[in-house]
Amino acid sequence: MKKMKWAGLVLAVMMVLAVLSGCGSSKETLNIYSWADNFDADVLADFEKQYDVKINYDVFANNEDLLAKIKAGGGGYDLIQPSDYMVATMIKQDLLAPLNKDNIPNFTNIADTYKNPSFDPDNKYSIVYTSGVTGIAYNTKYVKDEIDSWEDLWNPEYKGKVLLLDDNREIIGMALKKAGHSNSSTAEAEITAAVEDLKNLLPSVLAFDTDNIKQKMIQEEGWIATVWSGDASVIAKDNPDVAYVVPKEGGTIWSDNYAIPKDSKHQELAEKFINYMLDPEVSAKNYESIGYSDPNTAAKPFHSEEYNNDRMINLSQDELSRTEWLGDVSDMLQLYDRFWTELKSGR
Amino acid sequence: MKSKNHPLLGIHSLLMMVFIYVPIAFIIAYSFNSSRLAADWSGFTFDWYISLFKNRHVMEALSNSLTVAIISTVVSTVLGTLAAMSIRKVNSRTKAGMGGLLYLPIIIPDIIMGLSLLVLFNQLNMPLGKITIIIAHITFSMSYVYVVVSTRLTGMKGQLEEAAQDLGAGAWQTFRYVTLPQILPGIISGALIAFTLSLDDFMVSFFVSGPSSTTLPIYIYGQVKRGISPEINALCTILILVSVTLIFLAQFILNRGKGQKKQSVLPF
Amino acid sequence: MRKSRLGLLPTFLWLCLFLVVPMLIVVVISFMGRDELGNVVFDFNLASYATFFDPLYLGIYWDTIVLSVLTTVLCLLLSYPLAYYIANAGPKLQTWGLVLITIPFWINFLIRTYAWVLLLRTQGVVNNLLIDFGLIQEPLQLLYTKGAVLLGMVYTFIPFMVLPIYVALEQMDKKLLEAASDLGATAWKSFWHITLPQTKSGIMTGSVLVYVSTTGMFVVTDILGGAKSAMISNIIQSQFLGARNWPFGSALSVIFVITSLIMIGLFNKAMTSKHLTVKEGRQ
Repeated sequence: MKKMKWAGLVLAVMMVLAVLSGCGSSKETLNIYSWADNFDADVLADFEKQYDVKINYDVFANNEDLLAKIKAGGGGYDLIQPSDYMVATMIKQDLLAPLNKDNIPNFTNIADTYKNPSFDPDNKYSIVYTSGVTGIAYNTKYVKDEIDSWEDLWNPEYKGKVLLLDDNREIIGMALKKAGHSNSSTAEAEITAAVEDLKNLLPSVLAFDTDNIKQKMIQEEGWIATVWSGDASVIAKDNPDVAYVVPKEGGTIWSDNYAIPKDSKHQELAEKFINYMLDPEVSAKNYESIGYSDPNTAAKPFHSEEYNNDRMINLSQDELSRTEWLGDVSDMLQLYDRFWTELKSGR
Repeated sequence: MKSKNHPLLGIHSLLMMVFIYVPIAFIIAYSFNSSRLAADWSGFTFDWYISLFKNRHVMEALSNSLTVAIISTVVSTVLGTLAAMSIRKVNSRTKAGMGGLLYLPIIIPDIIMGLSLLVLFNQLNMPLGKITIIIAHITFSMSYVYVVVSTRLTGMKGQLEEAAQDLGAGAWQTFRYVTLPQILPGIISGALIAFTLSLDDFMVSFFVSGPSSTTLPIYIYGQVKRGISPEINALCTILILVSVTLIFLAQFILNRGKGQKKQSVLPF
Repeated sequence: MRKSRLGLLPTFLWLCLFLVVPMLIVVVISFMGRDELGNVVFDFNLASYATFFDPLYLGIYWDTIVLSVLTTVLCLLLSYPLAYYIANAGPKLQTWGLVLITIPFWINFLIRTYAWVLLLRTQGVVNNLLIDFGLIQEPLQLLYTKGAVLLGMVYTFIPFMVLPIYVALEQMDKKLLEAASDLGATAWKSFWHITLPQTKSGIMTGSVLVYVSTTGMFVVTDILGGAKSAMISNIIQSQFLGARNWPFGSALSVIFVITSLIMIGLFNKAMTSKHLTVKEGRQ
C-alpha cells in the first residue's frame, strides 16, 4: 500500500519530466555556446527575425571547461567561441568542422593582421571574433616611474600591490618573454629559469586573478598588473588614472574566435550567422555595445569617434608587431602546470 | 516545555545573525545602486529591477533553475527518506554498505561527479538538457536528505511504532500517524538543503547541461568575466522576498487548517 | 526484513547507475596513461598514484585537511550555541531563527562570497569603519589572506552545522534534563552529561557535512584568498581542465574519496566511544 503511493509519486514525476523534455519549437535553432554577454542582444534578435530562426545562447566561463565538455561529447552546439590556443587544441583533437567560406563572403572584411593566424593556417576552422594583447596596466597615482618593461613588476616599491593573471601559460610566458625567449618555450632550462625568476616576484603579488582583475584595479587594490588590452580600456573608463602599455619585450596576443563543432547539425546556419555578424553595420553595432576590439576593417566608418580613438581597443601597428601568439607546447604543458602549482602554493 | 536561555547565548545568537546578514544587507543595498560596478555608492535606482525583467537570459535561467530544483527536491526527498527509514531494519552488513554508498555523493568532488556523469550520459546516448541536470541533482541531494533524516531517526524510539503495530495499525497507518510526524522536521530540513543545493550548484550542472538548459549559477559564473551585473543582486533580493513570503504563507495556511495544534512548516 | 530491503531498492538502483558506474569509470581511468593531446589511453600503470606522493601534492593535501578541520571546529563552536538558543526559544522566535538561518541559502554562493570582498577590501567598509573610529591609520590588508579564506569557509557552511544540531536538540528527551536538575545537577553538568551526548548525532552529521564540503571547495580560496593557496580540489580541477591529465585527476579523486571516508569513520568512532555515550535503553 505504502509502496504503491511512492511508486505513484515517482511515476508522476517521471511524467512531468517527459512532458518537459517534449516541448520544443518547430523553427530551426542555432545553438550558440560562448562567453556570457558576448553579443549585443538586439543584434541577435535581428538575426532571429531576419532568418526566421531561434537562437539558443548558452555560456561557459573558460576555455578548459569548453574543451572538457565538447570532448566528452557534450553539446549539440552549432557555434562555439574558443580562444586562439584552444582552436589549435581542438583542431588537433579533431573536434572542429572546416568552414565553408562560400557561405561567409564577408570574411574579406577581416583585417589582414587577423587572417591566416599561426594557430589555424588559412582560417580553415576559425575566424577571429575579437582580440587583445596582454600588457601592463598601472595606476599613475601610485606608480610614478615610467613603465615600459616586464622588469618593472619586480620593482620592490610595488610590493604587495602586484596583480597577476591566474593563468600558467600567460604568466610563465610573460617571464619567458622578459628573459628574451618565446612565450611558448618548450626548453626545460628556459622554463625553469623563468619560474625561478617568478619566485622572486611572488612576495610582491597581492592576488592571482583573471576575471576580477578589472575590479581590483578600478578599486585601487592593486597598483600594477598584467592585464588584457580590452580590459585595460574598461578599467580606464572607470578609473582614468590607470594607464596601459605593451612592454618593450613584447606581450602575448590572444583572440576569441568563431568555430563550428564537428557534430553540429546546423552548420550552414552557423556560417550564415558568422557572415551576418561580419556585415559592417551589424559589426559596428555589436562591438560598440560589447566594447571589445572589432577586427572588421569595413566597419570602421560605422563606429563612433570615441570607439575609433580608444587606443587600448585599437592597438598601434608598432604595439602589435611586438606580440606573439601562445603556441601549443604539447606535453610540456605538464611541466608548466606543475611549476604553476608550485608557485601558487608557495612550496 | 520552555527552558530559559542564558543571556550570553542570546548575545551570541544576535552576533551570529549580524555576521550572517551584513553581507546580505550589502547585496540588497547594491541592487539599488545606480553604478554598474559593485563599487562605490552612486545613487538610488530601480533600473536593475526593470532591466532584470526584460533580460530574457536571466529569466530563462531562473525558470530552468526552479524547475530543476523543485523536481529534484521532490524525488530526492522521497528516495532519501525511504532509504533512511528502511536502513534501520536491515542487517548490519547491508547497513554499512548502503550507508557508505549514500555518503559517497557528498564526498565525491563536484567536478568528478559532473564529468563522470557526462561520460555516462554520453555512453547511454542521452541528450543533455534539463533531464540530465535533474538526474544529477537527485543523485547528490538524495544523500543529504538521507543524512539529515537519519539524524532525526537515530534519536527516535522504536517503541511507538511497535505499539502502533501491536494495536493493529497497518504499515502505511503506522508511517502516516506515528513515524512521519516524528521525522517531519528532519524531512523538511533535508528537503530545504536539497532545494538550496540544487539552486546553487554550478560544477555538476555545467557538465551535464545542454542547449537551452542554462541554470542561474551557470549564467552567473559565465558573467564573472565581464563583471556580475547588479541585475543579479536585484534577483537575489527578489528571491529572498519570495522565499520569506512563501514560508510565512505556508505557515499561515497550515496553522489555519490544523486549528488546535500548532504546526510548523519548517523544521520547527 | 524483506520489506525494508525493498525500500532500499530504488535508492540502491539509482546510486548504482548514476554513481557507482561513473565512479568505476573514474577508478579505471586512474590506472590508465595519457597521450600528449591529453587523451586517455589504455596502458595499465600506477604512475598517477606515484605522482601523488610528490611532496608538493602531499603538502597541498595536508593544508587542505588542516583548513577543513579548522573550519569544522570553528563552525561547531559558533553554531552549537546558536542552534541551542533557537531550539530552546519560544515558538515564534524559533520559527524566525530558522527562517533567518536558511535565507542565505537562497542567495547564489558566488554573490555571497563577492559581498565579502566589498566588505574586506582596502577601501571597503570594515577598513573605513576602523579608520573612522581611529583604531588604525592605514587600511589593513584583510583580503587575499588565509584568514579571509577561513572566514569565507565558516560563513558559507554555518547553516550546514546549525540545521542538523538543531534537529537533534529539538527531539532530545527533555525529561532527562528535568530529572537531572531535580537531582541537583548544575546547568553545566547536565549539559555536559545529558544534552551533549544526546545531540552527538547532530554534531556528527553537521561536522561531516562541513568537513567534506570544505575539502571540496575551491572558489573561496580563489576569490577571498587571491588564488594564492591551492586546495586539493583546485588541483583535481586543473588536472581535468587546464593540464588535461585525466588519469592523475582521477587518481587524486580516488585518494580524496578514500581518505574522506576514513576521516568520517575515525570521527564516527571517536563520537561513539568514551564518555559521550549515554545509556539510552535502546531496543
